[in-house]
Amino acid sequence: MAKWGMVIDLDKCTGCQACTTACGMENDTLPGENWQDVLFYTEGEYPSGQMKWLPRPCMQCEDPSCVHVCPTRATYKDPDAGGIVFIDWDKCIGCKYCMIACPYGVRFFADEAPLVEPDLKEIFPGSGGQLWDPPGQSPDQDRKRGIGVQPKGVVSKCTFCYHRVSKAPEGVPDLDEDDPELVDYVPACVRTCPPKARFFGDLDNPESNVNKLIANKNGIRLKDHTGNRPQVCYLGAGAGIPAFQPKS
Amino acid sequence: MSADTIDRNNTGLMTGMLVVGAVIAIVTFAIVAFALVTQGHAAFNMDANVAWGLPIATYVYFALMSSGLTLVAALAMVFGFKQYYPLIKRAIWLAIITLVAGLAVLAMELGHTFRMLWAIPLNLQIESAMFWMGVFYLLDLIFMAWKFQMMERGDWTSRLSRQVGVASFIAVLLAAGTLALVFGMMSMRPFWFDPTLPVWFYATAAFSGVAALVFFTYLSYGMNRSRMPEGLRMDLEGPLPKLFLALAGITLVLFLSRLTTGLYANAPEVNVVWSDYLLASGWFHFAMWGGILLPFVLLLGRGMRNAPGVQMLAAILVLVGIFIERIYFVVGGQVVPLFKGTWERGLVEYAPSSTEWVLTVMGIALVFALYGLGERLFNLSDSPMVTAGDEAASGRQATASS
Repeated sequence: MAKWGMVIDLDKCTGCQACTTACGMENDTLPGENWQDVLFYTEGEYPSGQMKWLPRPCMQCEDPSCVHVCPTRATYKDPDAGGIVFIDWDKCIGCKYCMIACPYGVRFFADEAPLVEPDLKEIFPGSGGQLWDPPGQSPDQDRKRGIGVQPKGVVSKCTFCYHRVSKAPEGVPDLDEDDPELVDYVPACVRTCPPKARFFGDLDNPESNVNKLIANKNGIRLKDHTGNRPQVCYLGAGAGIPAFQPKS
Repeated sequence: MSADTIDRNNTGLMTGMLVVGAVIAIVTFAIVAFALVTQGHAAFNMDANVAWGLPIATYVYFALMSSGLTLVAALAMVFGFKQYYPLIKRAIWLAIITLVAGLAVLAMELGHTFRMLWAIPLNLQIESAMFWMGVFYLLDLIFMAWKFQMMERGDWTSRLSRQVGVASFIAVLLAAGTLALVFGMMSMRPFWFDPTLPVWFYATAAFSGVAALVFFTYLSYGMNRSRMPEGLRMDLEGPLPKLFLALAGITLVLFLSRLTTGLYANAPEVNVVWSDYLLASGWFHFAMWGGILLPFVLLLGRGMRNAPGVQMLAAILVLVGIFIERIYFVVGGQVVPLFKGTWERGLVEYAPSSTEWVLTVMGIALVFALYGLGERLFNLSDSPMVTAGDEAASGRQATASS
């Protein structure tokens, strides 16, 4: 079985947020509850200050702290599904301990005050336990893997678009959106990225493009000191987080 | 001593407390339940940045107060300090009801409370500190209820009663310890990350537990020590205020250690939390100076320490101060955003919603109501000895009667 990984080249990323939009549409997330987001931040001060941005999906960590803390095993890492970390919405009790334990801040409890107005939960009220009923709702639903429209009172997160990736032919080293045979299986954020800053492939396959990129372009993992060992790697300048400084 | 041999002039007050507390608890429960049904958890102000807010802080406050009360009761139950016997039945009852109140608040905060009842035991995630916290607090509750039932039957010192007392002590150490580790093991949250956090939790638990014991004991007797049974009166004139002082001192030393290392640390997730969040708040200053230092100073002199008014004042200061500390502790671990992005240039801002405050009031009202109920149903001042002077003889009688 593949171990799916993502490579994001920050030298190519323009911070356009197309990935964020595509993710929201693909996964029917509420506005602001961005499973995939591009964070903008500044580093340093005038005259050497820099503007930076960082696309941030779930890192699908090899040793995910969210999985260790979950008291019901609702969140779990599935080695048979490419090592993706899922949330079983039928087991999640909404304690939010995983949100505390995730060093990357990529878990969401969308049953909260709206982050963006107007509140779409009021405009498209949910039925059947769903938080909302978005128009043109995706047919892909898998509560055991946290795929579909989020129910009330549970945590949700990026699934590497498992509902697409899982249909890919066995043994492919990479899911490249430029390959007409594979384009339908590529995660939405990768497929939509205009400057082609994202790559998706099998980290266990020595022939995969993602492995070559990581090796040749000094791929690094974000906040590697946490020991979570993400399956998402960053290339290029600026693949780091400046220390927090309160605004003066 | 049976319930009908004690002066219980206070039952009118307790009945009023029971009724008023129950009404407030029911009304506040209805308000929160209605908000959750109509708005969902949008009724709370927590979000992806601050996932745990006032309800969790209230749960921690009550759970640790419960643990502290059991630790105090353990002085007599486990360690043989018999002068504390007149306190322990009230302490155990308070421990039971504060834990129940804390769990009630927690239940309203969770996304799926009833699912928890089967999902946790059926999935046995033993790697999670939260799992163990649940196991140990459940055991703690069972042992405390068992011990209380034994004391109610007059069985204070039988072999089984002592064993249950020891078991509840061990359970409470494990429960409060794992509650601390729910926070303390989070290396990605440096403000909390601390292997010695259980020590801080034990100390402040006992501190708030003694404060609750002093507060409710005086409440039961209308601040009038002459109405109290002799053993209880003697406790409040000597051993209990001394213990209160010692715990104030221990808490103060530990707090200064946390404050110093927090401000000294270079890591902004620790340093900035102390300098720009905790110390920037007037409420936190009240908790520090009013809730820890002032009670310590008030209790230093023997004359002051033994005055009922001073003890009550110190107890109220501690109960309020530690509550504030719990809020700032829980929120403090989350106010530095994990990523300094455009949307989070400064510390994360969080203020509890009105529904969260109503939920906290529900917990407080529940404690008052159940305490009033306890005073109505049981003789919480019961003790195996009539006075401290003949404790040995009474202890033997209690054993024989069991």
